[in-house]
Amino acid sequence: MSVSLDKPQIISHIQKNLNYTVFDTKWIPCSAKFVCMGNFARGTGVIQVYEVQQGEVLLIKEIEKSKPIKCGTFGFTSLQQRYLATGDFGGGLNVWNLETPDVPVYSVNAHKEIINAIDGVGGLGIGDGAPEIVTGSRDGTVKVWDPRQKESPVANMEPAEGEAKRDCWTVAFGHAFNEQDRCVCAGYDNGDIKLFDLRNMSLRWETNIKNGVCCVEFDRKDISMNKLVATSLEGKFHVFDMRTQHPSKGFASVSEKAHKSTIWQVRHLPQNRDIFITAGGSGSLNLWKYEYPVQRSKKDADNIDMGVAGLVGLLQNVTLSTQPISSLDWSPDKQGLCVCSAFDQTMRVLIVTKLNRV
Amino acid sequence: MLKKTLLAKMHNIPVEHLDYNFIENCSDVKTLEKILGVLRSGDEGIYPHLIEFCEKKIENLYPESRALRKDKAPATAASFTSQEWQDILTDLENWTSDIKGNEEEIKQQFIFENCEKVAAVHGSNVTILSSQEKGINEKPKRKKRIAPRDYKEWDKIDIDKECAEVDEKKDKEDSVQTVSRSSLSEIKREIDCADLSQIEKKYIANHEKNKGNEAFAAKDYDEAITYYTRSISVMPSVAAYNNRAQAEIKLCQWTNALNDCQKVLEVEPKNLKGILRRATVYLNTGNFKASIADLTEVIQAEPSNPTAKKLLNEVEIRMANMQSKEKVKGKKILIEQIDDTNKEKISADSSSHVGGETAATAFQKSVMGNVQKKFPSRGDIRPETDEKGLSPVTKENAEKANQETESTVRSTEAKDQRLKNKNLENGKYAGNHSSTSGSDESRPQLLASGVLPPAVACLKEQGNELFKNGQFGEAVIKYTQAISDFEKCNVDSPVDLSILYSNRAACFLKNGNCADCIEDCTRALDLQPFTVKPLLRRAMAFESMERYRQAYVDYKTVLQIDSGIQAANTSVNRLTRLLIDLDGEEWRGKLPKIPSVTLSFQQCRLKEVVSKRDEKNDGVLSEQEKCKATEEMFLSFKQKGNDFVKTSQYNEALKQYSECLKLNPSDSAIYSNRALCYLKLNQNEEAIQDCNSALLLEPSNVKAYYRRGLAYKNLQNYIASINDFKEVLQIAPHITEAKRELKEATDCLKKQHDSCINQKQRKKIPIQEVSNSDEEEGESGENGRTPGSVLSVNHPHGFIDADPSNWKDTLHLKPTNAYEFGQMLNAIKVKSDVAACAELLCIVTPENMPLLMSCELDTEALAIIIQALDRHLLQKSPEMVYSHLMNLQKADRFEMVCSLLGKSEKDQVKLLFHHLSATESKEFTPDDVQKLANRYFLHEICLRT
Repeated sequence: MSVSLDKPQIISHIQKNLNYTVFDTKWIPCSAKFVCMGNFARGTGVIQVYEVQQGEVLLIKEIEKSKPIKCGTFGFTSLQQRYLATGDFGGGLNVWNLETPDVPVYSVNAHKEIINAIDGVGGLGIGDGAPEIVTGSRDGTVKVWDPRQKESPVANMEPAEGEAKRDCWTVAFGHAFNEQDRCVCAGYDNGDIKLFDLRNMSLRWETNIKNGVCCVEFDRKDISMNKLVATSLEGKFHVFDMRTQHPSKGFASVSEKAHKSTIWQVRHLPQNRDIFITAGGSGSLNLWKYEYPVQRSKKDADNIDMGVAGLVGLLQNVTLSTQPISSLDWSPDKQGLCVCSAFDQTMRVLIVTKLNRV
Repeated sequence: MLKKTLLAKMHNIPVEHLDYNFIENCSDVKTLEKILGVLRSGDEGIYPHLIEFCEKKIENLYPESRALRKDKAPATAASFTSQEWQDILTDLENWTSDIKGNEEEIKQQFIFENCEKVAAVHGSNVTILSSQEKGINEKPKRKKRIAPRDYKEWDKIDIDKECAEVDEKKDKEDSVQTVSRSSLSEIKREIDCADLSQIEKKYIANHEKNKGNEAFAAKDYDEAITYYTRSISVMPSVAAYNNRAQAEIKLCQWTNALNDCQKVLEVEPKNLKGILRRATVYLNTGNFKASIADLTEVIQAEPSNPTAKKLLNEVEIRMANMQSKEKVKGKKILIEQIDDTNKEKISADSSSHVGGETAATAFQKSVMGNVQKKFPSRGDIRPETDEKGLSPVTKENAEKANQETESTVRSTEAKDQRLKNKNLENGKYAGNHSSTSGSDESRPQLLASGVLPPAVACLKEQGNELFKNGQFGEAVIKYTQAISDFEKCNVDSPVDLSILYSNRAACFLKNGNCADCIEDCTRALDLQPFTVKPLLRRAMAFESMERYRQAYVDYKTVLQIDSGIQAANTSVNRLTRLLIDLDGEEWRGKLPKIPSVTLSFQQCRLKEVVSKRDEKNDGVLSEQEKCKATEEMFLSFKQKGNDFVKTSQYNEALKQYSECLKLNPSDSAIYSNRALCYLKLNQNEEAIQDCNSALLLEPSNVKAYYRRGLAYKNLQNYIASINDFKEVLQIAPHITEAKRELKEATDCLKKQHDSCINQKQRKKIPIQEVSNSDEEEGESGENGRTPGSVLSVNHPHGFIDADPSNWKDTLHLKPTNAYEFGQMLNAIKVKSDVAACAELLCIVTPENMPLLMSCELDTEALAIIIQALDRHLLQKSPEMVYSHLMNLQKADRFEMVCSLLGKSEKDQVKLLFHHLSATESKEFTPDDVQKLANRYFLHEICLRT
């Protein structure tokens, strides 16, 4: 098989079948370990810690919890602590010390229903300011938590009374470039994307991409917000240039149709914010690169700045499975290393080559 | 069956279209994509080759087509060469073991938690409505139900910070942001990481550097610099400095970039990127030499570095531009000089009525031209370099100037414009030096200057350098800094401060900032009364501001100090006329008081001047009186001389002028006049000597050139004479006599050339030097004129009677590098001056030839060298000829050049070898010669046995 040698290649390095449904995988920062979170067939939750070693993965720890675990993040924790925050099917937010996982370090009944998405910021040297966790739930609310503050969230983003509650599928932090500024972006099942400004405690921007929003992610959390990628149920994704907000037109965007099915996840390469991977419902992965336009903003007729979107180019695509890929995470330490899980109850460690030459 | 009809119908593709011919001719991508879809579906049957064909067609038309995206399996070991695969695996392996080590370290350090530096909790249960209409129109409801704090937490609370945050929030509440241009100022430039471990620091530094790289890729250079700075604040790294330098280069922050490059190179002296970036900075700050040095270093280390090559190219282009600019400048100076000389002529002519040349009258109208411009051409406006020799740099400059002067003197015959240009520059340099010695050194010793603090001296040096480069604005900044530093230092040395002010004044004057110039001069004069330069500068400034009276007073004061300063004399004349026009007969009454210069100042100055003049009878008269007496005598001799000329009594005139010169050997007009006499008496060599002297004193003396041209012509040295006439025409293009003479000389040269082609010239050519007469040099130096400004002297025929002892003097004119040598060789080539070539070969050490020749060797050069060796040197020193031939064949490109030699040139080579083998020597045998001849590709030479 001849492969064009200058393009990045995606290698399925290690594959492991699991005896439970995996919903989320995350690398443990500053290590060769990652966690898999999911639920056993018997209806309980599970967290497994694996370590990559000599071309294999070793199960280091398995923790069983009462509620199935939907999502997790390390984004709020310090490099020394490396606590894992998880959201479960019952709406509970727990922070675990993986060394002593019996009792959560922090626990709160965050939502009335399942927590679909979780994100963290302010830890790991990423993002100045307070460590915070954001959760999005089927109950229609998005809540920001500070693990130092028990019981009540820092902020609660909910629909006004009497309004229909939409299922929140995804949340992401961004714009955390100093101690005050911070934004949360949330995507809903009806195609709404909302951007909340935590500094002013206000809704800063919203749009609708017509299809349910499966995943949103800023290219980087700890810079003045630059780009946002939102993926949709019908196989399209949108890249918004977040640098210039026009009062009426909002942010400029470019969209691309990629997978022939739902795009479940988008993840930016931690070492290069302009490269990202999308994971599709057909078990495929697409690696993209965003090209900036010559001018990122221009003046409109009224001499107001408006953004100009760039272009998205496909670098590589592979099909790993027949089932949707539910999660994917890049290693923050090793460029090109990533772990992904699919609904065929398999977890894979992938190597993407030549990313530094793109 | 159903599906098939559906798909084909849906796409509206008839079955006939699924065909090689149709696909081949179809250019509509959409249709092709549909066809491909149908084909791939297999509804119409499976045709793998047709599918492939269709794909190829689409790929040709539109490579980005989505239809071409195929599902691919992940790459496996088979997709890579075994080497690559191994690399990937070992890389991962190494990483896992590394990261494990790091993890262990972090775990061990995880003993103390650091809560202090973590920011406060953002708020508590603030509700944000997630619908826009309400969200924006109404202020979000903020249920501030602050949870009771943990007892321990109270200990950690920083009250001030909490208050500040509350205030801040109130402020921010009302401002609705619409545009989120990144507010860079809000990004902290430093990261507080006092209590982080080494590994964490490394992690964060790397992370911040990555952010910088990304910002750089997005062309947000400011942002990139911010992140690199953050990275450096956590943990300085070569890469971060290097990248920051690059970003700073993009933003044209040259000094910062230079600093960063230096930091990189301090740690890693061989960092090519760092060197390359420094070269870029140098290039853009005009420091071409340093830039070239850096680039050559890079190219040496990495010969195929495209960036370095490109940069080098650019440097060369820019340098060429600079030079061409300078060329223009040089011409301008030339023109300015013409103004000057002619002006002087006018005064001289009107008083003495010598010389019948027409040049003068044409310029009468332009006398009042741009005064300010005229003076700089004298070179006396340049900032003083402290001649008392505090800084080695000054000496270096002086040396450089000398060297350049030497080199130019030898290559004066070149018509090359660049050389002339350089000559002029040299004139300026040397002029400055001698004028400095004229004014500065002569300052009373009791006012000895203190030692400048090194920092100030450095600033001053930089200022001088900038001034020399014409960057007057920057020079002002340097001087200003120097002055302020100097004042801070509390050093009590009015002399130096005065010089600084005076130099800054020069910059202001150059920039046309007359008011500041006057202010600075006044300050300089307060510190150091009656110094010539500030006075002159102030006078010029006054004059350009049309404050003629003050200007007049200043010029007068200058003349009181030193009556020999030409610029002041002419200006006083000019101003007198002007003031008479303005104020009528009573103009003197309206003048401010002219300060009388105290005798001590005059004496100090005079002592210098006079002691150099070799006056023996000091002590009899007071210096001043004596000076006056000499002046009067001088004038009377001159007048008499002029009278004699008018009556064609040239011998008598000659005597008068010689008397004049005994009294004052620094008047170029006298030399020029005496040259006329010699010329009339047909004493051509003497005429040339006098013209040379005149030109030494006044490099653009048209008359002297003209007369020397005539003298050379009489001596049948047509080349030199043509040169001189050309010089005349360049300075004053309309002089018809010069044109006529030039034509005549050219004709004569042709004739001579034709006649001497067959004649073998084996004349011994003495080599003559410009600065041959030591006394002359000494004398001329004292009047602020320069020996270096001689434009053209060095012609063999002109100095047949020269003192043979000068042989030794020529040695120090040796070209020291390939450039100088190349220049000389070019000059020789242009003129086909075999004699000069021989001369050059004499002074060059044969062993250095390949080095000096560099890659300049061509057939023309080789031919002329061979001729020179054959005709001039063979008799004198066959050994030298042999060793030259020996070394010449080691030069670059030698073989190529040899193979390109024409028939006649080859014959010359043959002839030379014949002659060489015929001569006997201890150094070499005929066999050696034969061997050497073979090297010259001349196997056919059969040598006499």
